Amino acid sequence: MDAQTTSVLNRIIRRIPNKNIEDLLKKWNCLSADQLRALDYTRPKWVIVEHVISFCEENRLNMKHITNLEMIYHIENPDRGTWHACQLAEAQDDAVCVELTQFKEQFKAHLHGVIRHISIKLKKHEDEAIWIRIAWGDNFNKPNHLKPTYVVHHLHTSYVFISNLTAKHKIYLCQALVIATKHGSIKDGHLSTKSLTAMRDLLLRRYQQVFPNAHSRILQDRNTVSSHPCIGKEHGDHEEMRRQMSCEAFGLGPSPKLETAVYRLETRYRGTGDHSLGDREEFFRGVVRFSSSGLLDSLRHCVASGIAEGPVTPLLSAITQRGRNYFVITDKGPGVSSQASAQTAPSQQTL
Amino acid sequence: MALLTPYSKVPELNTATVLLVESEEELQSKLADAIVHHEKDFNVNVRLARRLPLPVENKEGRPRVDLMVFIVNLLSEHSLQSVESSLTHLHSDCFLGKVCFLVTDARCGSHTQERLVSLRKLAASHQCPVLCAEHRTEDGVNAAAVRLLNILKVSAGMSPLATTALYLSSLTRCSVTSDLEED
Repeated sequence: MDAQTTSVLNRIIRRIPNKNIEDLLKKWNCLSADQLRALDYTRPKWVIVEHVISFCEENRLNMKHITNLEMIYHIENPDRGTWHACQLAEAQDDAVCVELTQFKEQFKAHLHGVIRHISIKLKKHEDEAIWIRIAWGDNFNKPNHLKPTYVVHHLHTSYVFISNLTAKHKIYLCQALVIATKHGSIKDGHLSTKSLTAMRDLLLRRYQQVFPNAHSRILQDRNTVSSHPCIGKEHGDHEEMRRQMSCEAFGLGPSPKLETAVYRLETRYRGTGDHSLGDREEFFRGVVRFSSSGLLDSLRHCVASGIAEGPVTPLLSAITQRGRNYFVITDKGPGVSSQASAQTAPSQQTL
Repeated sequence: MALLTPYSKVPELNTATVLLVESEEELQSKLADAIVHHEKDFNVNVRLARRLPLPVENKEGRPRVDLMVFIVNLLSEHSLQSVESSLTHLHSDCFLGKVCFLVTDARCGSHTQERLVSLRKLAASHQCPVLCAEHRTEDGVNAAAVRLLNILKVSAGMSPLATTALYLSSLTRCSVTSDLEED
């Protein structure tokens, strides 16, 4: 095994806590049963790493097997690193007929055609997600396996989740995705989180949504069960209304765990105090950043408990309705609107 | 402006009603559960509100309120301000023994001491008692519920010794001593 292979293996094993290494190696299925039994997980980490490296050399494993191990590790622990969402647009007529094998061939063919040295690995997970690992090289250098890009795509949806992509390689990846999925363009989704599961749940709507309807019976029934008949609420109707509003905006039950929402202001100052600030021509630039361990749950609680006055401002409900957490707010006519920059064609969206 | 009056309705037999007013709605429901489960001798109705004035729609169905408890969380400035504005919606008859203040988090931090002093001055000017409660443990909530029930019994006229609410409040009302005023 060459130096790069050992360093990749080193890095993977060092990151995992000792108790999880055994499961991962079993899933990987490249070490024999005797070797697995011989590993003692109570020893210090560097001892385990050395043993694993020596077993891999015994079995004559190469970079392909090690990258397989890395992929398995990432698939099992999707909530590491920073993930960004992109959205495919302008689907062509036969986009719904794209199958896995076709996607694979087209994707690999395009990238191999553009870059001479590149290493691509595709895996389909049981929940219909395609995981792609790309180690980039260029026309003269071998692929760098220490900084791979990971891409997750669910076929026939328009979302792609990308981690660890540099600006240099962005254009190649985007071209390949657009061609392989038979769409016209791809644009930045303005959503980035640490947790892939949260991002997936939000965009693919895997949380419990509440839609506005004339009878908000569902939420009412849940509420009145726990209350004693002697306890009466004066502001019960208001409470119900607030709960309904908050659930419509942010979902019911456990919501996807977003961590931040960022609003970049490019508006003119409109306060009543200091007039010198308001008369200027240039923008009053500011950035408002919400951080939390569970942002959507906190916002929902703010609205439901009455800390924030309802109705929910569209700036906040846009997080779930549009699936983004980065917004640019500009002055446009009588109201405020936000602009999203697209990759291929500049388009303006109003909130 | 419709004020909340204590004597405008007829009392029900063997029933007492307490109104808990709290703008955060944190301690309210726990206290309500504790009160309702504690009292076995007579019926207790608990009404929960965030602030006064109470919605007009409920006026018909609302029973006569025997005791109004204002719950103030000393960690929040908004809590105290909300109570001050709610007090203006009470008829002055209420202050003859039917209003009580319940304070939480009285021992945390320095801002709470200032707020406690201002609340005590407010209570003293209205001649009402101030209770301190500990709301984070179940025992604390139960203890507060028992104390409120004792006051409620007198306010609803159920005390066997024929103690009136006015007499009790003159015994328990908050007083502002001179060393508090020096702070």
